[in-house]
Amino acid sequence: MQRLGYNETPRQSFASKGSAVLARLRRTFRFLRVAALWEAFLVALGSLRANKLRTSLTLMGIVVGVAAVIAVVTIIKGLDKTVATTFSSQGSTVFTVSKRPRVITSREDFIKFNKRKDVVLDDAEAIFRACTWCWRAGVAANTAEPVKHKDQKSENVNVRGITPSAMFDIDAVNIDAGRFWTDNEGATAHEICVVGTDIVQNLFGGIAPDRTLGQNVSIAGRPYQIVGVLQAQGKIFGASRDNLIYIPYSTYQKNFGAHSSLVVFVKTASADQLEEAEDQVRTIMRNRRGKTFGDDSDEGFTLETSDVFIDLYGKATSNIYIVTYLVAGVSLFVGGIVVMNIMLVSVTERTKEIGIRKAIGARRKDILTQFLIEAVTVAAVGGAIGVLTGFGLAYVISFLIGFPLLVSVASVLLGVGMSSFVGVISGLWPAWRAARLHPIEALRAE
Amino acid sequence: MSDVTLASPPSPTVLPEPPVRAHDASALISMRDIWKTYEMGTEQVHALHGVSFDVPKGEYIAIIGPSGSGKSTLMNLIGCLDTPSKGEYWLNVKNVSEMDDDELARIRNQEVGFVFQTFNLLARATALHNVELPLIYGGIGSSRRHEMAKEALRAVDLADRVTHRPNELSGGQRQRVAIARALVNHPSILLADEPTGALDTHTSMEIMDLFGRLHGEGNTIIVVTHEHDIAARAHRVISIRDGLIEKDEKIR
Repeated sequence: MQRLGYNETPRQSFASKGSAVLARLRRTFRFLRVAALWEAFLVALGSLRANKLRTSLTLMGIVVGVAAVIAVVTIIKGLDKTVATTFSSQGSTVFTVSKRPRVITSREDFIKFNKRKDVVLDDAEAIFRACTWCWRAGVAANTAEPVKHKDQKSENVNVRGITPSAMFDIDAVNIDAGRFWTDNEGATAHEICVVGTDIVQNLFGGIAPDRTLGQNVSIAGRPYQIVGVLQAQGKIFGASRDNLIYIPYSTYQKNFGAHSSLVVFVKTASADQLEEAEDQVRTIMRNRRGKTFGDDSDEGFTLETSDVFIDLYGKATSNIYIVTYLVAGVSLFVGGIVVMNIMLVSVTERTKEIGIRKAIGARRKDILTQFLIEAVTVAAVGGAIGVLTGFGLAYVISFLIGFPLLVSVASVLLGVGMSSFVGVISGLWPAWRAARLHPIEALRAE
Repeated sequence: MSDVTLASPPSPTVLPEPPVRAHDASALISMRDIWKTYEMGTEQVHALHGVSFDVPKGEYIAIIGPSGSGKSTLMNLIGCLDTPSKGEYWLNVKNVSEMDDDELARIRNQEVGFVFQTFNLLARATALHNVELPLIYGGIGSSRRHEMAKEALRAVDLADRVTHRPNELSGGQRQRVAIARALVNHPSILLADEPTGALDTHTSMEIMDLFGRLHGEGNTIIVVTHEHDIAARAHRVISIRDGLIEKDEKIR
C-alpha cells in the first residue's frame, strides 16, 4: 500500500453542515491566531538561523534590489532639489518680459523670435508706470567680457547691466562688503561696479573683500571702480555663479551699446499676485506691440517665469529617470525571484516537518502563515539592510558629484514596504504549495 | 466523553449493505462499511473493502496484519489523516467522514494523539517545544501551554529532559517525548503506529509498559503493529488481511 499514489476517489461533500461547523470552529480557535503567528515567527527565525548561507544569499538578493532603488531615488531627488533651488533663486514671485525665450528648441522658433521688435527701455518704463500689481521691476542686459586688474585677467566674465538698484533685490543677491550704488549714481552712467567673489579671488588674489573697495577693474578696456562685493552664491553643476560683475544700465548702454534687447524683470509682493501681475504686463505689452486679445499670431514678446528651466530640466531628464527606475525595479524583481527560489527549496526540505505539523493539528492557514512569515521576515530584514546600503551608496555619489543628500522617511518606508511586498508575492506560491501538501505524503518524505 | 445522553447523530435511513448495523452512538470509534479506493492509472485498487467495528472508551486494541494488508490505510483513517472513499466513521460522536481538511486538522489536534514508528519529532525544537506544538495549534496561551507540556513530560518520566533536543536523547526517550506530545491535549484516542519498530527489545518493553500504564489511567489506546508479542499486550486484537477484518477477538 505504501507506494500507492494519493489520487483518491472524490469524497462526498456536505455543504449544509459546513457553515455551522465553521462558526463553531471560529469560536473555539479565537486565540489560535496570535499563538500560531508567534509560533510561525519563531519557526521562521529558527529556520533562517539554521541555514545561514541560504539566508545570507536570500538577503543579498533583496539587499541589492532595494539598495538600487533607494540609491536611485535618493540621487534623483538630490539632483532635482539642486536644480530647483538654483534655478528658482529669484523665487516664485519673479517673471520676465523679453524678446525671445531663454530656451529655444527649434530653428524655426529662433527665426520667428529674431523677427520680433527688441524690448527697449520704453517698454520697461511703460510696465513700471502701468503695472499696479508689480512690486519691484527692473531691466537687465548681459554680456560676456574680459576683465583685468593689473596683470591679472579673466576672460568671459558675465557683465550684467541693471537699473534700477531694485534689480539687486530681484536677483536675490546680497552685499558682503561695501554697498550697492544709489539710483542717482546709476542714472548718471558712472563707471562703478559691484563684483562677485570670483573676481576678488581671481584678480585680487583672494584678499579680504573690503580691501578691494575703491580699487579699479578694467572691463573691456575701461576702468570701473568697485563699490561693493557680493556674498558667494556657490556653484551649480560645477559652474560658478560668482563670476559676474554688476554695472549700472546707463553705463552698460554707453559702453556696450543700446542695440541689444533688454530683459524686463518684475517681482510681485507675494506668489499669489503673480498671475494678476502677468496679466497686466501682458496687456501692456500687447498694446505696445499693437496686438489685440485673441490675436493668434505671435505676441511679439515672451513672458516667462524661472519655472521654464525647471520644466525643461524635468522634460530632459524624465525619460532618463524612468529608465533608471526600471533598471532598479528589475533588480528588485530579481531579488524577488531569489526569495521565491529559496523558499521553494525550504518547503521541499521541510516536507517532513510540514507533515508532522499537519498530523498534530496544523491547518492549511497555519502552514501558509509560517512560510509567508519566513519569506516576509527575510525580505523585510533584507529591505532594511538595503535601505542603509542604498543611502550609503547615494551618500558616496552625492559627495563625489556635489549635491545635497536627501534622506526621507518616505524612501525608508518605500524600501522596507517594497521588499516586504516582494517577500509576500514571492513567498505566496511556495507557502501555498506547502499548505496544500497531504499530511500522509508529507510524513512519508525523508 | 462517552456520555450516552448526548444527542446521537441521525442514523442513515438507507443502509448500504444489509449486514451493516447503524453506527453505535455510545462507542468512541464507530466505523461502518469503510472503503478506501486508490486509482493507479486506470485501475482501481481497494485498500479497504467494507471494514466495520466499534471501539468503546477505555479499550486497549491492537490492529495486526502483514504489510500490504491495509492496516496502515486503516490507521490513517482512524487518525483522520485521510478520509474514506465510502462508509461512515464516527469519532467521539462526530461524523469525521464528512469533514474537510481544516476540520480534520482540528479533530487530529483535539481527539487524536499520534505516536509514530520514527517518532517524528521536530529536530531543531526542544522536548518541551515538541510537546507544546499541539497546544499551539489548539490555541492555548503560553503559560498554560508550558504547564501542560511539563506535566505531560513528567507523566512519561522525562521531567529532567525538558530542554533537550531530540538528537540529545536516546531512542526510548524520543519515543516518550512523542508519547507526551500525543497525550498533552488529552485526546480521545492514543494512536500508535509500530511504536517499537525503531527500538531495541529492552526499550520496546519499557515503552509497552508505559502504554499499559496509560491504559490503566483510562486512556483509549490503539496500537498498529505486525509483531504478535506487542499485540499480545492489548485487550483486543483486530486482524486485517486483504483489506478486510479477518478476526476481531478479546484476548483479556
